[in-house]
Amino acid sequence: MEALWDDFATAQNTCNGYLLATTISPEAPATDPARLYNYNRGTNAYSLQTDLRYKLQYNPSLHLEKKEAAAWHEIFTAFYTFTGKLLAAEESQTANRPREADWSTVYESWKEVLSAVYRGYSGNAFEAWTIPCLYVVGKYLRIFAIKADEQAAASQRDSGLAFGELQEEDAFGAASKNEKLEDAARQINRIFALCLGDRSPLEDSRKWALYYTANLLFKTYFRLNSIPLSKNILRSLRASASDTPELSTFPRAHQVTFKYYSGVIAFLEEDYASAEELLTFAYESCERRATRNLELILMYLIPTKMLTAHRLPTRQLLQTSPTLDRLFSPLCTAIKRADLRAFNAALEAGEDEFVKRRIYLTLERGRDILLRNLFRKVFIAGEVEDAKADGGGAGAAARRTRIPVREIAAALRMAGATEIDDGEGGVDTDEVECLVANAIYKNHMKGYIARDRGFVVLSKTGAFPGTGV
Amino acid sequence: MSPSYTAVAARKTLHRPDAPPAPEPAKTQKVSWTPGVRGYVQRAFDADSATIGVGPVEMQRRLKAVITQAAEAGQLQTIDWTTYPLPQNLIKAEREALALSSAQNARIANLNASTSYLSSGANIPERSVKRKNEDLETTDAEEDAITPPWKKHNTNKGSMEDRMTGKSKKQDKKQKKNEAFRATGLGTNAAVLEKRKQRFGYVSPEPSPHPSSRNDSPERTGSLVGTCQTVEKSYFRLNAPPAPETVRPLPVLEKALNHIRSKWKNEHNYNYACDQLKSMRQDLTVQHIQNELTVKVYESHARIALEMKDLGEYNQCQTQLRALYKLSIPGRSEEFTAYRILYTVYTCNRTDMNDLLADLTLGDKQKPAVQHALRVRSALASGNYHKFFRLYLDAPFMGAYLLDMVVERERIAAMASICKAYKPDVTLRFIAQELAFFGDVDVPDPDAGLRQCLEFLCQHGGEPFVERKEDGEIRFHTGKAIAVFEAQRAAAFRSVDIKGQI
Repeated sequence: MEALWDDFATAQNTCNGYLLATTISPEAPATDPARLYNYNRGTNAYSLQTDLRYKLQYNPSLHLEKKEAAAWHEIFTAFYTFTGKLLAAEESQTANRPREADWSTVYESWKEVLSAVYRGYSGNAFEAWTIPCLYVVGKYLRIFAIKADEQAAASQRDSGLAFGELQEEDAFGAASKNEKLEDAARQINRIFALCLGDRSPLEDSRKWALYYTANLLFKTYFRLNSIPLSKNILRSLRASASDTPELSTFPRAHQVTFKYYSGVIAFLEEDYASAEELLTFAYESCERRATRNLELILMYLIPTKMLTAHRLPTRQLLQTSPTLDRLFSPLCTAIKRADLRAFNAALEAGEDEFVKRRIYLTLERGRDILLRNLFRKVFIAGEVEDAKADGGGAGAAARRTRIPVREIAAALRMAGATEIDDGEGGVDTDEVECLVANAIYKNHMKGYIARDRGFVVLSKTGAFPGTGV
Repeated sequence: MSPSYTAVAARKTLHRPDAPPAPEPAKTQKVSWTPGVRGYVQRAFDADSATIGVGPVEMQRRLKAVITQAAEAGQLQTIDWTTYPLPQNLIKAEREALALSSAQNARIANLNASTSYLSSGANIPERSVKRKNEDLETTDAEEDAITPPWKKHNTNKGSMEDRMTGKSKKQDKKQKKNEAFRATGLGTNAAVLEKRKQRFGYVSPEPSPHPSSRNDSPERTGSLVGTCQTVEKSYFRLNAPPAPETVRPLPVLEKALNHIRSKWKNEHNYNYACDQLKSMRQDLTVQHIQNELTVKVYESHARIALEMKDLGEYNQCQTQLRALYKLSIPGRSEEFTAYRILYTVYTCNRTDMNDLLADLTLGDKQKPAVQHALRVRSALASGNYHKFFRLYLDAPFMGAYLLDMVVERERIAAMASICKAYKPDVTLRFIAQELAFFGDVDVPDPDAGLRQCLEFLCQHGGEPFVERKEDGEIRFHTGKAIAVFEAQRAAAFRSVDIKGQI
């Protein structure tokens, strides 16, 4: 128990917020693995109050104000109850009795700790440097909520029919499934509001916890699959932008995470321009060693770039991560080679994962690029006309710009476009024309269709914008 | 001579005279614990009978209470301890009884909390569509927020309740919330209801001195069963408990459905049919009936609403149907899944579409109607108007009604593409074919399609670009019409209007 108090005293005297946070962390530090156990066993409910008072108020190495000491007193009391519950749960877990590990009481008791911390802050008992404590309570609240929900779901499955017990109904949708997580979201929201509403001067402000809390909220809302609530956070942040310090002044980790989530939200809203900007920033600022984070960012950045810049990722990039390679490489190869068959196959193979991450619909647009590549190939494969006297002047040989629709149809056939079949073994040229018309409409091609003559006439220069042809 | 006083024996010792024996609590008596009681206690403490949600402290308290009461009533020997319910199970049963009886009151209170997260039809709080869903929830909840008549006479469960100190307020609220979530709007599965009734129909093995909640259970599980026999009934919003005489029971409702259906076929009176169907839905909800009949009623209503283009009502039914199908109640899930996809296409709601695609099972995707709807989606996503209009002409079930609502704006979009891509002009016949104006093959007038196409073009400002050639053919100057149709397209896609329920 002493190590805990030593750390606490050191932290208080040196204003080290992160060290302070470790004193109330549910995970014991590596230097003191039995910390929680010792804390719990080192006192009991009867003597808890006096012990704490001795440690906090009468401790010669600490100089706490009365209000602060009282607030810490409350926190450590709640922490005591919490450690009891946590240890019990962990013991059941390790003793192979996971059903008994009561994570919901662990969650509830941690919530008490959070409330105590919250009261400390709202009563202005703590100075700003202590805000890592807020990080700790928020982060673990979420973790415990998830554990408690998992356990609730598992217990619903296993609950048998004890005498007189009602048969549990099937959970209706996600509502009861994520009860604790929703509760956690509300709690973290309170902290967020607390940080947002802080009127103290910047050096002493709780606003520095703002982005961390916002990120916690994003994670929670994403898990709960409620994007509009995330948009609320963004809105509140924008509304108070004049009071809060610039994002660039916050720690880099906060920035990257924040930009990542904002980017994903923009992506889901189909605002690809902002999404590209935000995700690129996140990608470039992200710590190179955090490979999992990089992977997550790329997961959304690749479809975005595909759409906005019509750019595909390079092989090296995809090979940095096995997941990315598996998911995106076949697609990219198919697009480059204008192989419709392969593209459809790749899309279908990864469909479940794409749909889960909500990028399926965006990746579908890759088909447009593929078709453009296809048309371009037909164009390039065409004969080179001799330079006309009034045309290129210096005799620049130009490719023919009149392409028969028939040829395009044949190319599509070869690439495996089944949609153009008219069901009788022939080709539905109207369909082919429609595909060409779309490409023209979307500015992938410049030209027009001369329907009567069955030709597609391309512009002499820059028929395929963006590809240098 | 007797003295005029009453003699009292003088105290000779310090020993106090015997006080009248105080009523000793049964605890302090030396009671002989029968092996039955001992066995019971052992079982209660046994790790295997540990119930989640009932901690050991509570259980012990309850155990003490049970045994104390038995001893007081002198029933230690007579109670059959081997079959007597363990304290933890008693606690759980009572909690649930308490929760269920207060669940209906708690429903409204918890409704706002639950509807923000309840995923019925991919609910998202801020969507305008939410208004409809909320309306639906409110309607049903209002119907249910009533305290059933029997609850008013729910007598205090007696001392057992008071002694039930184990149940903390938090757990109480949690139970209530669970019940509220589970019970919101749709009540309980009829099959489970039956099982419950059976379980509590027979006399419970415990003797009567324990005023137990189980005596109330038949009333609790027996939801309202109506007695009204009239087949037709108008819809009135409930704001009080419905009297059983006004609620139609299941067999009557079945007759009513057939009656309404045939009336609709003959008369096509939408207001009447809608009214009747809503009242049927109300009766079903109030009686917590969730079976094939419920599904049929919602399906019929949805189809009728679709035919009359009442999207608000249709969306309500669709949402309910989704929840009902999830309960594995058989119905035309293929048909309605296809409709849902088409509806989401119409509303251009990307989040919904994402969620919907994530929800589709492999089995769903094999069904032809669903495949058709998915092909419609993918055609429209890539702008392939040609394919879309072929699919439109070929829609299974009543999909065409849903697609009708999309056709207008997709025709404009297609025109925008055609104008940009084709130069200098195209025949009217080509446009009419592409945009599926030649739908009905058996129309006597072969040029009807052409005329409709022309009308469409003129309606959207295309008249100046139509040219009648000498050979009778009509051509449309696409090159010049680009700007017009581009503007139209932008306008058409700017806002998608979801008609809400008033």
